[in-house]
Parts: sequence; structure tokens; C-alpha cells
Amino acid sequence: MSTAPLVSIEGISKRFGKTVALEDMTLDIAHGEFVTFLGPSGCGKSTTLRILGGFETADTGRVILDGKDVTALPPERRAVNMVFQDYALFPHMTAGQNIAFGLELKGMDKGGIRSRLEEIMTFLELTDYADRYPAQLSGGQRQRVALARALAPDPALLLLDEPLAALDANLRAQVQRELKSIQRRTHKSFFFVTHDQQEALAMSDRIVVMNQGRIEQDGTPEQLYFQPASRFVAEFIGDTNLLEGQVRDLADGEIVMDWYGRTLRGRSADAVPSRNAPVTASIRLEKLGVYTDRPDTDNVVPGRVVGKTFLGSRMLLDVAVDDAGEATLKAYVDSDHGRSLGDAPLWLGWDASGMAMLRD
Amino acid sequence: MNRGNRVLLSCVYWAFVLYVFVPLLLMILMGFKDSKFIGFPIRSWTLEWYQGVFADTEVISTFGYSMAIAALSTLVSVLVGTWIAVLLEGRRFRGRTILFGLTILPALIPGIISAIAFRIYARGLGIEPGMGAIVWAHAVHNVPFVVLVVMARLSTLPKSQVEAARDLGADPLISFLRITLPYLIPSILGATVFCLLLSFDDFIRSYFLGGYEPTLPVLIFAKLRSGMSPEINAIATVALVLTAVIGIWAERFTRRQARESDA
Amino acid sequence: MVESDQRPFWGRLSGWGPYRSSMRLLSAGPRRQFLVLVTLPVLWVLTQHLGPMVQMASVSLTDAYPVAPGTETHWTFEHYLKFFTDRIFWMPFFRTLIFASVFTFVTLILTYPVAYYLARHVSPKNRMLLLLLLLIPFWVGEIVRTYAIMILLGNTGALNLLLQSIGLIERPIPFMYTSFSMGVGIVYLTALYMLLPLYSALEKLPRSLNEAGADLGAGAWTRFRRITLPLTLEGITSGCILVFLISTGFYATPVLLGGPSTTVFAQTIAGFFHVAGNEWPTGAAFATIMFLAALIVTGVFQKLMNGLRRGDVR
Repeated sequence: MSTAPLVSIEGISKRFGKTVALEDMTLDIAHGEFVTFLGPSGCGKSTTLRILGGFETADTGRVILDGKDVTALPPERRAVNMVFQDYALFPHMTAGQNIAFGLELKGMDKGGIRSRLEEIMTFLELTDYADRYPAQLSGGQRQRVALARALAPDPALLLLDEPLAALDANLRAQVQRELKSIQRRTHKSFFFVTHDQQEALAMSDRIVVMNQGRIEQDGTPEQLYFQPASRFVAEFIGDTNLLEGQVRDLADGEIVMDWYGRTLRGRSADAVPSRNAPVTASIRLEKLGVYTDRPDTDNVVPGRVVGKTFLGSRMLLDVAVDDAGEATLKAYVDSDHGRSLGDAPLWLGWDASGMAMLRD
Repeated sequence: MNRGNRVLLSCVYWAFVLYVFVPLLLMILMGFKDSKFIGFPIRSWTLEWYQGVFADTEVISTFGYSMAIAALSTLVSVLVGTWIAVLLEGRRFRGRTILFGLTILPALIPGIISAIAFRIYARGLGIEPGMGAIVWAHAVHNVPFVVLVVMARLSTLPKSQVEAARDLGADPLISFLRITLPYLIPSILGATVFCLLLSFDDFIRSYFLGGYEPTLPVLIFAKLRSGMSPEINAIATVALVLTAVIGIWAERFTRRQARESDA
Repeated sequence: MVESDQRPFWGRLSGWGPYRSSMRLLSAGPRRQFLVLVTLPVLWVLTQHLGPMVQMASVSLTDAYPVAPGTETHWTFEHYLKFFTDRIFWMPFFRTLIFASVFTFVTLILTYPVAYYLARHVSPKNRMLLLLLLLIPFWVGEIVRTYAIMILLGNTGALNLLLQSIGLIERPIPFMYTSFSMGVGIVYLTALYMLLPLYSALEKLPRSLNEAGADLGAGAWTRFRRITLPLTLEGITSGCILVFLISTGFYATPVLLGGPSTTVFAQTIAGFFHVAGNEWPTGAAFATIMFLAALIVTGVFQKLMNGLRRGDVR
């Protein structure tokens, strides 16, 4: 497998009328990588997908696929296939005919088509449904047919446009695992688009978070979760506390900040603020430890409980950190512990490595 | 909601049905009257008028003439109309509204004006009144109906289907032939029958653009100018049955087709 | 030895050289695709839809027709002015407009309850069937249906027979060749074009609106007047415009069912075209006058109705 990227997106911009959908996007996708584009509606993730597929043309920039410039190439000439959000199965053809569609147009002979059809249908456990029409299939089966149809012609890159959106929650988790497994087994690059952060975290090798046409952050799920670079990423992925304070000091890799009279230390990732500048820090709810006695962690803050929300296996605490009740932090505790807490003052403690200083 | 209202309205509906059907039934009946004169009451019955219709070569050839014109003009209407519908329903473009307006125009122009305009235009183009002129006028006049019917159907085709076909390697023509066209077939068939009937029944354009040979409605009109007779009834009834049967069959067929292809 | 091609049809087509190169040529980018797609429709629509109307207007402004070779033609309004000179021209014109308006109104009143019944009081399953029932006679054609009305209304026709047999009258009433018989014919022919838009508008109206009205204390007539009627105004407008335009255009029905006192403008116009040719510009001018009048009437009507609708929202 070559080390050169499979796909290179260079300086792609796209406007629709006055709306800027994408602004100067540059990105690489490696062979065999599961990349997810994550973001709210209108962030540009679907536009990127459609430009890769050839359904939209970018205003500026290039798309390089496997060393070739495909920017001007129409969809039918690209070695890229897509699984559509509504599956887009052809209603007047059987499942088998749907899957064979791309193979016929590749110029394969009937024998080759038949064997490839069998291969892919066995792979996706669809052999019983070959002669059924899409109307006779369940949602999950239709999704597999859509996947089989896209995989059959052996494309270098597979695009998936929020393919799990139409499935109910139980099925979704199962299909997530299946998709991941299929990607591993076929060694193909998957380009996955979703607005569901939990889905992205579960499936991806790499997540690209987008907002208003720009890339907010590009990294592994762990990086994005524990070291969010910006406020948007911190808020979009997982539940977080945001602390706005002022920079007191800069040490190597760490930033010391003032927050409501407390001195707190956190890691800086991309952030390079100047002394006395305002800065925002992000700490995940589950990283905050709740103690009755003062703990021995890097950051310690006293407070008292002002609200409790029962969530089943755990409880969400609102902890007021100052007398006026303006500054509150949220923390998770397990339900038993949570029930035992009253008005008595307690301590919140966390390590500097768990808190990230944000870019903005 | 109110029971009384419902009954009252039901009466209005069935009275309307009577109003719509009774004149036609009476006309059919009159064709069996054993007399040269039209009028009620009918005292004796005969089949001679209907036998006369089927024996009259002039009438038979007029039927054939009308049907030939219908077939030819429908062929043109459906081809052009489908093409225009595909264009209008696709990507939005500047001037789309104007083009749509111009496409619908022939259907909105009052009959006499439409016929006159075609007559003058034909003269300007050097087309003599006759079969060619009528076929042309019918073809142009019926295009709006084809466009509306096909556009309605086309608007329900998810764009993702055509994109999926393109994605899998089909160029625009192949994806049209393999995906769009099969989807449109029910509406195209419906439009075809609609055009056939519109053309067969058309009077005003056939009258002003016709040559020596009349279409069926023009023949009936000409005979009626000389006075009513049961012979005309028989001709009219045969035309009625022909068109009604085709119309009913077409309605049911297209509804069944649409249901099946949506399944 | 030539190997038989084992590829399926579509594979063979898309791989065939001439096909590939011509497709590359035609679909080289969205702009060219559009150009290929748009050329025929634009040509057709300009030459076949717009062309005849433009030509008609142009002939109406010519002073000599047909054009003798070698002579010059000049623009002139004389044919339009002729319209105002004689009663015999503008009487049928106004008569046509008034008749068309009256008949349109009658058709509206007649078909609204039918559309209402179908949309509200019939189960969705049966709706199609009952609608289809009404569609059948419309497949039959204007001449046949006009003749059927002639049989109905004649002196020895079914209506007179009925009235006589009940004893309401002694001698037959001469229904035929009057504006009454013409009206019956025209309403008969145009009813469907009013029924369908009305039905479509009524069907789209959610029942819950009526129920909410009843819940708030409105009686049946109030509910109709203040909820149903305003919300179907759009359907009423399009139905009325359609029927009006069709009604002004009838020729055969007024000729067959009407008499000398009911001459409509269509007959006047047609009169100019029975002759060889030099009256054609006048006929064209009259036809243009009628077309413009119809446009103005429907335009004004549309504006009026729009005003009504907005008024109700306030």
C-alpha cells in the first residue's frame, strides 16, 4: 500500500449564491482510512462529500484521486461510489439487479458479473434477497443492498452520506459495528458524513470537525475528545464545562489562568495566548472528581451542590463555586454517591492534563 | 359533518351525475328510433341507423381519418412534451418561468383565437389546409397537457436516484433511459391517451385547418347544420362509445401503473 | 475466431466507441448538457407557441393581405378601427364577455357543492371512483355533447316531453336557439374544468380547521363563509379563469345551440375567414382584440381575488 494519500483536497471553495458553503479546504485522506466529517447542518460536510463524488463542482481548488486530477470529471467517470442517505435503490429493479448496475457499466461480461455479484452478496449476507424488490425489503436490508451496490464495482473510495440517519437506535449501534468491520476487511477508504458525534467517535480512524465551511479540528477521536482545540469542538463533542478566565502565566506546555479568584492549570494544545489575555478552558464532566475532603490534585475548587439531575446510572450535579452562584461547574457522579450529597460544602478536583486551553 | 347537509349534498352530486349523463343517454336512445325525424316520444325502434353507419364508407373513412390524425399528432406531442417536461423539472435556470409560461400558452388561448392563429401561421408557412395542418395544430395544442402530466410525475422522482445511477457509471443519457424513463412510463401512457382523445374530439382547429376531408367532429357538425337525424345520432354514439371506453380504460390503467411502480 | 460478446446490453452500449465519443462531446460539463437539452424546447416554443400569436398580431396590422408580389405593405390600425364603427361588431363582443362571465358564475355555483361533496363527504377510497364517473362524459367531445343538448332541449326534445307529460305546459317551450340553450350547452361543456380545481382545493383543506371552527362555536354556514370559502379562493380563481377563457372561445356550440340574437364574437371573427383572403387582417385584428380583452378581464379578476384573499388574512 502506498504512503501517498489516496485523496487530496486542495484549496476547495464553494458558494451557493451568497452563502459560503466551503472556504479554502485542504485535506488528505490516506488509503484504508475511515474518515468522518462531523458537524451541524450547513457546516459544509455534505458539500465536501458531493464535490468528492462529482455532483457539485468547486469554485476553486482541486481534487486529486489516486494521483489523478479529477476536479472536472463527472460522477460516472470517477472511481468513487456513494451510499446515499435515502439509499436511492432503483425501485423497478431487484436487489441483485441494483447491485449489478455498476458492474454492467464497467464493461464486465455476464460471467464476471455473476461471480462478483455472488461474492459481494455473500459478503454482506444478502444472498436470500437477490430477487426481491426494494419495496419488499426492510430498512436494514435496503441499507445493505445500497452498500453492496456501492462496493461491488470496487471503488477506491466509498462515500457515505449520513447512511444511518433513517435507522432506529438499536439497529444503528449494530450497523455501526458492521460498517467498521466491513471497512477493515475491505481495506477501503471510507468517507463518512454525520452530525451525530457519538457515531463519529465510535467508528472513525480520524474525525474532521467542520463549522461554517471551515475545518475546526482534524484528529483522532481521542484527540478531539480530550484535547479540543476550539470552543466549538469542545461543545460539539461530549459534555464539557467551559471556564473563562485570564492568563496568568505560561509554562512549557501549560497555561496558568485565573478563574473567579482560583488559580488553575491546564494543557495548551494549539492555544498560544499572551499574558493577561482572556482564555477559555474546557474540562469534561466526567473528569471532575467530587470529594468531601480536599483532594491532592493539580486543580482544586471548593463548592456546594445547587442542583441534581437523575440520569439513570449516574447523576448530573450542578456545583456552585462562588457565593453569588454565578460560576457553576457540572460533574457526573454515580447515583448512590449523588443521593448522599447534601448542602455540605465539597471539593472538586482534577489534573492539569485533563483540562484543555482552547484556541478561542 | 351534519347528517342533513350530507344528504342534501349527496342529492346535488347525483343530480349533477344525471345532468351529465342523461343527455348522452337520450342521444344514444334516439339512434334507435324508427323514423327520419328526431323527437320524443319514440314509438318504434330499429337498428337500421347503426347498420347504416357501419356500412357507410364515407363515415368509416372519416373515423379512420380522425384516428390517423390523432395517432400522428399524439406521437409528436408526447415526444416534444416529455422533452420539455424533463428540461423544466430539472435544474433551475434563468428564464425557466418564461419558458413554462410559453409552453402552457396554447392551452390557455380561447379556441377560436387558437384556430385563427394557426390558420394564419399555416398560410404564412405555405401549409395548405389539410391533414398535415391539422396534425401540426393538434400536436402543438396538446403539448401543454403532456408537459403538465409528465412534470407532475417527474417531480416525485427523488433526485438521488439519478445521482446514484451517475455515481455507478451511467452517463446522463443512460441514466435517463434506465432510471428516469421507466419511472415516467405511467404518466407518458396517460398523456398519450389524453392526447389521442383531445385530438379525436377536437373541432375548432380541425374545422379551420381542414381541407376537403372532414374529421369526425367536423362531419357531425356539417351534418347538423342541415338538420338533426337519427343517422347523426348513430354516428355520434359510436364516437361516444369509442372515446368513453378508451378514456375509462386509460384512467384505470394509469392508476394501476402508478400504484405498481411506486410499490 | 471472433469471440461472442458476453457483456450485457448496457455494458456494450457504454463501451461502444462512437457512443462514448458522442456522449463525451454532448455532456462535457453541465453547461453543455444544458445547452443540448434546452435547444429544441426553446426553438419549438418560440416558433410553434409564440410564433402563431405574433404572426396573427402582425397580420392584423398589415394593410394588404395576401401580399401580392411586388407590392409594399404598410403598418396600419385601420382594421382595429373598423371594430368601433359598426354595432354589428361590438355587440357580439360585449355579448360574449357578458355571457362568458354569467356562464362562468353559473358553473361555479353548480359545481362547488359537487366538489364539496366529493372532497368532504365521500371516503377517500370511493372518491376516485365517483370522480371518474364524472370524467367519463368529458372524454366524449364537444360536438357530440352539444348535439346531446340539442336533443334534450328541442321542441320534441326530452325536456319538453317531460314537462308536457307532467302537465306543467301544454305546448312545447322553444328552448332552442336562445341564450338559455347556449348557456346550458356551455355550462355542460365546461363544468369539469371548474370542478377539478375546486375539488383539488377542497381536498387539500384539513378537516381540522372546520372542526376547530365548530369547537369555537361557529355554525355550518359561518364555518363555510369564514373558513372554507376564503381558503378555497385560489381554486375558485383558477377554475373561473379557465372556464371563462374556454367559454369565450367556443364556436360550434353557439352556432348549433344559439340563434341570430345570440351571435357571439367567435362567429364574427370566423366570418372573416370564410372568404378568400383580404378580410383576414380584419379577422386577425378582431381576434387580437378578443385575446387582449380576455387577458384584461382575467387579469383584473385575478387581482380582485388576490385582494380579497389578503383582506381576509388581516
